[in-house]
Amino acid sequence: MKDEDWDRLLRQSLADAAEPGEELNESLIRQLKERNEMKPKYKKRLSVGLLAAVLLLVLSVSAYAANQLFSAKQVAERLGDRMLAEAFESKDAVQINQSKASGDYRFTLHGLVSGAGLSEFRQSSEELYPDRTYAVVSIARQDGKPMPNTADAEYGLDPFFVSPLIKGQKPWQVNIFTMNGGYGETVIDGVTYRMIECDQVEIFADRGVYLAIASGTAFFSNKAFGYDEATGEVYAKEDYSGASLLFDLPLDPDKADRAKADAYLDGLLNPSPAPDSRDTEGLVNTVENKGIALIQNVQAKMRAGERIGETIPESIQEMTSNGSGKLKYSYDGWSATISPDEYFAEDQVGFSEKFSISGKDDVYKAVLFHKEENGVITGRIVILD
Amino acid sequence: MDIDELIELVKLHGKSIYGFCCKLTGNWADADDLYQETFLKAVELRFKMDSSRNPKAYLISIAVLLHRNHRRKLAWRQKIAPTADLGEAADRLLVPLASEATPEDAVLSLELRAMIREAAHRLNDKLKLPLYMYYTADMTIEEIASALRIPPGTVKSRLHKARENMRKVLEADSL
Repeated sequence: MKDEDWDRLLRQSLADAAEPGEELNESLIRQLKERNEMKPKYKKRLSVGLLAAVLLLVLSVSAYAANQLFSAKQVAERLGDRMLAEAFESKDAVQINQSKASGDYRFTLHGLVSGAGLSEFRQSSEELYPDRTYAVVSIARQDGKPMPNTADAEYGLDPFFVSPLIKGQKPWQVNIFTMNGGYGETVIDGVTYRMIECDQVEIFADRGVYLAIASGTAFFSNKAFGYDEATGEVYAKEDYSGASLLFDLPLDPDKADRAKADAYLDGLLNPSPAPDSRDTEGLVNTVENKGIALIQNVQAKMRAGERIGETIPESIQEMTSNGSGKLKYSYDGWSATISPDEYFAEDQVGFSEKFSISGKDDVYKAVLFHKEENGVITGRIVILD
Repeated sequence: MDIDELIELVKLHGKSIYGFCCKLTGNWADADDLYQETFLKAVELRFKMDSSRNPKAYLISIAVLLHRNHRRKLAWRQKIAPTADLGEAADRLLVPLASEATPEDAVLSLELRAMIREAAHRLNDKLKLPLYMYYTADMTIEEIASALRIPPGTVKSRLHKARENMRKVLEADSL
């Protein structure tokens, strides 16, 4: 091939037709303008800057111009949910960008959005309650040190509880766990971003809805929060050793729906089936039964030494110690921390009969743990048959 | 240089800088990050920038530096959560180019292009950076020399070496 042909071939192959999206450029130009406004003020008026910094510390509660942090939309994008990212930019979304400091951390509530069918990822509970609420919170250390990355051994050592709570409802009864909730988490540039979701809370707008955050616990803790039965108020306990705080969610009272809210709470607090809810009960049973059947099927195959589904080869990874006697596994958004003693008997070799499964669109995956003769424990993701 | 001029650069050179970032990082999410960080870093350095003195080369050199700094981080991110690779999507993106090409070029198979990209990706940074600057970011030898702070003669010899290396790899692959 002639040199000039080779040159043309290279130019065609290596030219990149990719262009920065319009949104990316707009966001970039906006950031450039913001930085332009910030910098000269800092240079010219250092004393004003210092005063502002002191005020920030004293007040500890501040509206934070979250220009250094990622927006709710960007976090949703990072977590691979473009549909939800769009929803965070819609007119129905509530932009909050408010920061509060507590314990060792500074928490920023970026924004929230509610509605049906907003996310690319559907939860089984959406069959019952299609409307969901999504919110993004970021967590940064006050001392400026970075939050541990998801791959670090320290990740998850100081867990967080992030949940909506409803005024007038006992927070240990009505929280993210009971409201079919979940979350996705990512760490970017030393800041943890958590996107939570649960059954939608806008129907409670007239009662008052909090977003509660506590460190040192992944679940609701009576040590971190108190509940005044007389007034229905939830409050953060000042003597709690970790961080605990509440944001008031600025929901539109027009979106409140007393009847729907009461019916929802009734279903949640009184799980006994009402006569007209036989169908939904049946659905829950079906989902649960399917899960149980799948687990039993996998366990039977383990015992018989048969092949268990299709293993994702690159997911097989040796588990690493997290420094407190537990082993950690993470792969492609999956993560698990286990106590080896609870999963394997002393001389056990092979798969642990304890594992977790999750399913979407009839595709079920399991995280399995396997112990070699030399004691090495590996984790793997298996797509179940 | 003031912010308005910098914003003008986003419009003027955004496409080639973004393309360069895509090649360097190999995935969309990181390319988006690198692209934004490059311009945000340029805000800090804008007093050193002169619109009459090759701002594109300067921006590309910022991207290279940021990429080097982030490489370790990117490496683990790839390891724990492999991000969508550009390969397949890039094939689709490249198709329209064929319409501008001569008939022989039109037959140039996507497979061959993928092989060329792969061979380029496997080159070491010394050869890869000038190659992407030249072919992807469409920079001249002088611009590349200024961005990498090496003499133009060295740029030429590295480009030559990169081309030869790739030619050898492709010949070996097609045997």
